Amino acid sequence: MMHLPVQLTWLIPTLPAAAAAVIAVVPARRPGLGAGLALAALAGSLILAVLALGGALADPATRLTHTFTWFAVGHGAIRLGWLLDPLGTLLAVMVAAVGLLIFTFSLGYLREDPRAKQFFCFLSLFAGAMLGLLLANSLLLLFVCWELVGLASYLLIGFWFQRPAAAQAARKAFITTRIGDLGLLLGLVWLQDATGTLLLFDGGRGVLEAEALSTLAGATTVGGLAVSTAIGLLLFCGAAGKSGQVPLHVWLPDAMEGPTPVSALIHAATMVAAGVFLVARVFPLLAADLALPLAPVHALSVVAAVGAVTSLFGAAVAVAQDDIKRVLAFSTVSQLGYMMLAAGTGAWTAAIFHLLTHACFKALLFLGAGSVIHATHHEQDIRRLGGLRERLPVTGATFAVGMMALAGVPFLFSGFWSKEAILHAAHGWAVSQLPFLVALAAVALTAFYMTRLLAEVFAGAPRGHGAETAHESPAVMTIPLVVLAIASVSLGFLGTPWWPWLQRTLDPTFKAEAGGAGLMAVSIALVATGILAGWTRYGRHPRSDARAPDPLARSVPRLHGALAARLGCDELYAATLGRLNAALAAAASALDRSVWDGCVRFLARLGVYAGIVSRETDEKALNGGFNAAGDGLRASGRAYARTQTGDAHGYVWMLAAGFVLLALGALLGEAR
Amino acid sequence: MTIDYSELLHAFRPEACLVAGALLVLGLDLATGRGRTAERRARNAALLGLLALAAALAATFAAAPTGPVAAGTMLLDPLARVTRTGVLGLALLVLAATPGTLRLPHAAEYVALLLFATAGFTLMAGTTSLLLGFVALELASVALYLLAGFDKSRPESAEAALKYFLFGAVAAAFLLFGFSLLYGLTGALELPGIARGLAAQPVSPLLLVAVVMVLVGFGFKAAAAPFHLWAPDAYQGAPAPAAALIASAAKLAGLAFFLRLLESGLTAPAADGPPAPWTGALAVLATLSLVVGNLAALGQGNVRRLLAYSAVAHAGALLLGVLVSGRAGPGPVVYYAVTYGLATVGAFLVLAVLDGQGGAQAHADLAGLRRRSPLLAGVLAACLLSLAGIPPFAGFLGKFLVFAEALKAGGPASLPGAIALLAIALSAVALYYYLIVLKEALVRAPAPGAPAIRVPAGAALSLIATVALLLALGLLPDLLLRRF
Repeated sequence: MMHLPVQLTWLIPTLPAAAAAVIAVVPARRPGLGAGLALAALAGSLILAVLALGGALADPATRLTHTFTWFAVGHGAIRLGWLLDPLGTLLAVMVAAVGLLIFTFSLGYLREDPRAKQFFCFLSLFAGAMLGLLLANSLLLLFVCWELVGLASYLLIGFWFQRPAAAQAARKAFITTRIGDLGLLLGLVWLQDATGTLLLFDGGRGVLEAEALSTLAGATTVGGLAVSTAIGLLLFCGAAGKSGQVPLHVWLPDAMEGPTPVSALIHAATMVAAGVFLVARVFPLLAADLALPLAPVHALSVVAAVGAVTSLFGAAVAVAQDDIKRVLAFSTVSQLGYMMLAAGTGAWTAAIFHLLTHACFKALLFLGAGSVIHATHHEQDIRRLGGLRERLPVTGATFAVGMMALAGVPFLFSGFWSKEAILHAAHGWAVSQLPFLVALAAVALTAFYMTRLLAEVFAGAPRGHGAETAHESPAVMTIPLVVLAIASVSLGFLGTPWWPWLQRTLDPTFKAEAGGAGLMAVSIALVATGILAGWTRYGRHPRSDARAPDPLARSVPRLHGALAARLGCDELYAATLGRLNAALAAAASALDRSVWDGCVRFLARLGVYAGIVSRETDEKALNGGFNAAGDGLRASGRAYARTQTGDAHGYVWMLAAGFVLLALGALLGEAR
Repeated sequence: MTIDYSELLHAFRPEACLVAGALLVLGLDLATGRGRTAERRARNAALLGLLALAAALAATFAAAPTGPVAAGTMLLDPLARVTRTGVLGLALLVLAATPGTLRLPHAAEYVALLLFATAGFTLMAGTTSLLLGFVALELASVALYLLAGFDKSRPESAEAALKYFLFGAVAAAFLLFGFSLLYGLTGALELPGIARGLAAQPVSPLLLVAVVMVLVGFGFKAAAAPFHLWAPDAYQGAPAPAAALIASAAKLAGLAFFLRLLESGLTAPAADGPPAPWTGALAVLATLSLVVGNLAALGQGNVRRLLAYSAVAHAGALLLGVLVSGRAGPGPVVYYAVTYGLATVGAFLVLAVLDGQGGAQAHADLAGLRRRSPLLAGVLAACLLSLAGIPPFAGFLGKFLVFAEALKAGGPASLPGAIALLAIALSAVALYYYLIVLKEALVRAPAPGAPAIRVPAGAALSLIATVALLLALGLLPDLLLRRF
């Protein structure tokens, strides 16, 4: 099999990025051209990524790197690079493949949108930046791509910027993730300062290689933290922002204001997983402090704790949401928490396994939701849906597959295997069993809310006009669903305990541990409980009309109310941080207007005045003075000296005077 | 001393291409031009000129950097190679934009003069001999005087040429006087010989006078204050492409010659010894240029005069780069000069296109450019932002590299560091006057009835290439920096 030379890695992200640039300038009246270009470029990237994966799998233990100097400043140089290893290339193949399916789906979804061209332009930009992020061998390059995917996400959430909610959500997403990115940037600067490089692997000198790691773990900073712990936690801030971890999760549910294919690609399958990828990528750095038993806190423990809290929080809030996309969004938050939990307990391969399977089934669920929304004329409220099983047979069947994969229905579905791997890791964590118990609770909740969602949307009778008149979506939308459904089943078999191919590929030192049968039985029981509870409440007696209250709201109204209000996070932030920010902004504005503005105006006046004086002296006073001195010469040369502005004689006099002054200065300076 | 003629031919291949091209353009126009329309003749001449420039560029690339050639009068080192590439590239951009924008009756002569001037530039890029350097400088200057006055239909053009010539002649006299004093002091014409001669004697008043005379000559070439007074008039009156060449390629070539002269001819004898005799005077010129250029540009209502004063300010930054190049090598300052040249060429070519369709002098003539021609407005914005030093355009990195080197040379308290801080503060002023021009072009509505602007194909290509180069150098500065 042909392999991609590592020197050509740049082609993979550049193809979609170049497509974005070209699409930006093709005429808007030919949307087909733009979409075709985007698809072709991403297909090219997919082929190249598969070739790169082939090269990386041929020998998983060696890392193919290609570094180059971006530019040299003084005696140092800023170097960037590409890296082809199983982790990056595997995810690149996933991103390109899922992206291709979602691009295809978008052809149908946005058929009537007049700004479809721009949509494909932004999507291509996103794909290019995301692929660059995955394949970067330099944290600086990774950061550049990281910010670019953030930009693309902002543009796409606000794609329908005419709707105030969409514009607001785009801003919220951008600003919230930026808070995390500040930590990431600080971490990078610190890392550069401490090690002198931001390359990941550089023949022994990279930040993830033994020499730098022992230096970082050996030094301590404020509070007795190892430098590696502090830097690792700062990097994790960025990861938490991007991956919607509590307390920076608030942007992700709102991001559902974007078009549904965007939610599927960016806010479920790929970009939000970038935080998990970052943690997996810099895992050696995060794990460097494990060798220090006296450290006050280990970076990975923080990761695990945040992940556990997020997984339970997301699952609980998802139970009480009524918008089909919001349920899925909180489910994404919860699943990302699982991945962080896995990475925090040391099983980063399990995190990546779950990342891959989750990308497939969550993209499937979101595209299924998109198909429902498309078919019911933009009805997203599950209380007004219902009875879609007969009307949307393909969508219904594939959505059920996605639901079972997410809920972790045993053996056949991929989500089961990846979740098992995570639970196994959490169970074996030496520090605490608490995250494991939290994760078990989330397992039951996940099964419950997914059953609720499936029952409300597809079972019973239609409860609204949109649902009554629904028709199955066109083939261009259903074929991606079918492909993703197949992948949602089959991907799980890459990482079963009996044949952990994926784990071994990602980490050649991985050893499968025996003795998971009891744990597996517990989790199967929990899944069964969740599904049963969901079915008895929502499936057996579907609600009669859209206004009937939720069964949970009847039995535990206060809990349901709190969960429906997302446990008040947004309100809390608005009351505290938002207020604080507004107060600071008002103070800064007042200071700006009264004090600084005055200073700036004064300086500006001074500058303009000095400019006028300088010009006047140049063109009038100096020339005039020399004119007076050189009247004799002037008479002879009046013919050409009478010009609109300057006077040639004056200029030459100026030159002579300049020479004399400079020479005098030099002579005097030397004499002194 | 024997001269190896094959080596000589090899070293001077770019110049040979240019001179042969110029003669061919003239001859062909004389032989076949009669009976053809002026437009056709202009196109043919420009095409031949482009071919000659491309051949010279190829020859520059093909020649591997070697040591001294032609009995030590030329040095083909990385500096020479980059500078040659730079001036040829800039000339290429200017010439490519000429057909269709500049309507002249004697296009063949115009093209030939441009090629002669470029030959002067490429010679200046590599010369290590005072004599060859002076001849090259004059070859370029005389051609530029003629180019500045080429538009005989406009009195301003004649005025520009006359002032440029008058000032240039006086500056050349200073330069020659300085050179002859150096020769008298050391008995050598080649730079290594001069360095040896100066190392053997104490700093004398005569040497100081010689150095200051040389500085005056180059100060004129670079339009450094207080020798800048010709620049606003010349930039305003000369045909825009000629002004572009004067402001970009001439500066780059002059900078290379100047660097070589100061660094290898008049250098301080020991690295930690007393500073070279030119340090103080150069610092004065740099400071004056920065202050005068930036402040005077604020008061300008004419785009070209504004560009001229901004050129004075950039000359100050370039001189600062020269001041610290002994420590940092020529990389940063040459990068600055190349990117400055590119942005200036782009801005002047936009004005050249506008000139062909009604003229562009006052800021208000640019009003509504975005509506009238998005391409021109975009290029103007890119070039002015690069001049102002806004990333991702190359101008940002040029400033960054030069200022960083100046600050590193001795901290903010040292002389170069202090000038760098001043320059950084004045960058804010510069941004203001560039943005005023951009406001006219991008925000203001066009004058009622102003027609859309048709950009000739050659000019469009050249403008796009300019912006692409600005972006490429800004994002991948190593393309140029690693040549050193």
